[in-house]
Amino acid sequence: MLKRFWKKPLGYKLSAVWIAFILFLAVFRDLLPGPAWDESTEALGVGPFSPGHFFGTTQDGFDVLAGVINGARLSVLVAVTSVLIGGGIGTFIGVTAAYFKGKYDRVVNVVFNMLLSIPNLVLSLALISVLAATKDGVPASDGRKVGVMVLSLIIVIIPILGRIARSATLQWSTREFIIASKSMGTKDLTIIKKHILPNVAPAILAIGFFAIGVVIIVEGSLSILGIGIAGGASWGSMLAIGRSYLEFSPWETYFPVAMIAFTVLSTNYFGDYVRAQLDKRESKI
Amino acid sequence: MSPVLKLTDLSVSFNTPRGMLKAVRGVTIELNAGESLGVVGESGSGKTVLSRATMGLLPRTATRTGTVEYLGKDISNYSAKEVRDLWGTGMAMIFQDPMTALNPVRRIGDQLTESLIVRLGMDKKAAREKAVALLKRVRIPDPDAMMRKFPYQLSGGMRQRIMIAIAVSCNPEMLFADEPTTALDVTVQAQVLELLSELRKEFNMAMILVTHDLGVVAGHTDKIAVMYAGDVVEYAPTRQLFTNMKMPYTEALLKSIPRLETPTGTRLPVIEGRLPDPTKDEPGCPFANRCPYVTDKCRAEKPPLTDGGNNHFYRCWFPIGGN
Repeated sequence: MLKRFWKKPLGYKLSAVWIAFILFLAVFRDLLPGPAWDESTEALGVGPFSPGHFFGTTQDGFDVLAGVINGARLSVLVAVTSVLIGGGIGTFIGVTAAYFKGKYDRVVNVVFNMLLSIPNLVLSLALISVLAATKDGVPASDGRKVGVMVLSLIIVIIPILGRIARSATLQWSTREFIIASKSMGTKDLTIIKKHILPNVAPAILAIGFFAIGVVIIVEGSLSILGIGIAGGASWGSMLAIGRSYLEFSPWETYFPVAMIAFTVLSTNYFGDYVRAQLDKRESKI
Repeated sequence: MSPVLKLTDLSVSFNTPRGMLKAVRGVTIELNAGESLGVVGESGSGKTVLSRATMGLLPRTATRTGTVEYLGKDISNYSAKEVRDLWGTGMAMIFQDPMTALNPVRRIGDQLTESLIVRLGMDKKAAREKAVALLKRVRIPDPDAMMRKFPYQLSGGMRQRIMIAIAVSCNPEMLFADEPTTALDVTVQAQVLELLSELRKEFNMAMILVTHDLGVVAGHTDKIAVMYAGDVVEYAPTRQLFTNMKMPYTEALLKSIPRLETPTGTRLPVIEGRLPDPTKDEPGCPFANRCPYVTDKCRAEKPPLTDGGNNHFYRCWFPIGGN
């Protein structure tokens, strides 16, 4: 298993290791040593590689390394849940639309196109400012904000993956083996489950990885715009605070940016690899 | 006893941007249990559409008129669900290209047991045993290992045997074989045809063998329907057809098969010209423009299906050998 892994291309190996590393941080954050991410220390704006603060501290004295590690959880959580739920719904809609065709398919197509024509940042902005608005001077709770953000990202993801699922299904559902299975009296849902889904899954998986990258970036952008998660709890949120002190403590910004960049790069690379495997498999069929 | 399959005046047309495309124009055919019918014709003659229309496997753009009787029951107005209940257990189809007719990502065993479990309600273990027996029946070596294989690991002939095993798995009364050997190489063709004939006798199935190769149907059918431009132009028992050919088109088809006796370098006779435009309804015999014996009458009036005795029907004003 490990031997086979080492034979893979370098980009794949690095991205897989990085994704595993980020997942590890997200899951075991609380078990790691080091200062707490949300407790201010005496050291204000200390540069990187100083004793006790490997990535330095912010102007307010928060440890950047701890913040980056802590941010992994929320960034990953937001990205993974929205892609999983949005991808699931999108796949279901896309596959059934392409399989049953007719009016249902036309409606789905129009709705997908409409959703895709709205810039995703604007959509999220609108949703968050309506559903998680500051009421009577009291800002909405972080939990609610995260919930609304995930919801808006789900709406962004549904048409992206839905269209992939739809086009892949259109391609596969005219294949002869689908007609052959139908001619044996197999029910439509069985055909979808057993014959179509296994064939469209790799394409959806590949785009799903890209989508995770997109979502991480959108989450960061929202934070920078000031309506995302506050208080440095995610990478984007750390950026939002750090950019005000760019001239004094640039490391406050660099490290979360690096995390976002490497993670998005890794998911893209990984998605690419999955797709290349898919093409290879396709040529064997 | 009523015939397994009886088509009466079956027509199929497709709604295309260029107008109604008439793929099948009023075909009447009868088939008894254990009997096999060869449907022969060139590409575009409507033979594949005929078999798919009989099963009810047409796309939405198609309209079908006429009646299809299965075991004496008129099934032409059956709902989608009623027809589906017939598929597999009543009528089954073997497809032309075994390369695309198997799901590339599922194991042979899963694909073979699928209909046994879904249609016959077998449990997994019984379905597996039956599937292995079926594989053995279609002469797959080492059927147990085959159950775990994926389609890409198999040759075309193997895949077609598996398609046949799937098609007969629910003991259908009626088997459609849509050019089952076209995608296979010649040595495998003979084996697959032989297997189909054996299974037909064993299960007492009626079979429609669709092909463009008169040589294929000669040894494996009881009767033959030659199709041209959506019409059955000659319909006769196989022996009768080959000994007493009436249609110039059938003759031309037979002449265009390469023969071993002819000296090297001889040009293969071809049927000049093309099929008439299926979206237009032109007067006269559709074969008139390509027929070596054409007369003015052929161009003016379409010949009716004439009964020439001995169950021999043909659609020609001036049949070979006279009326």
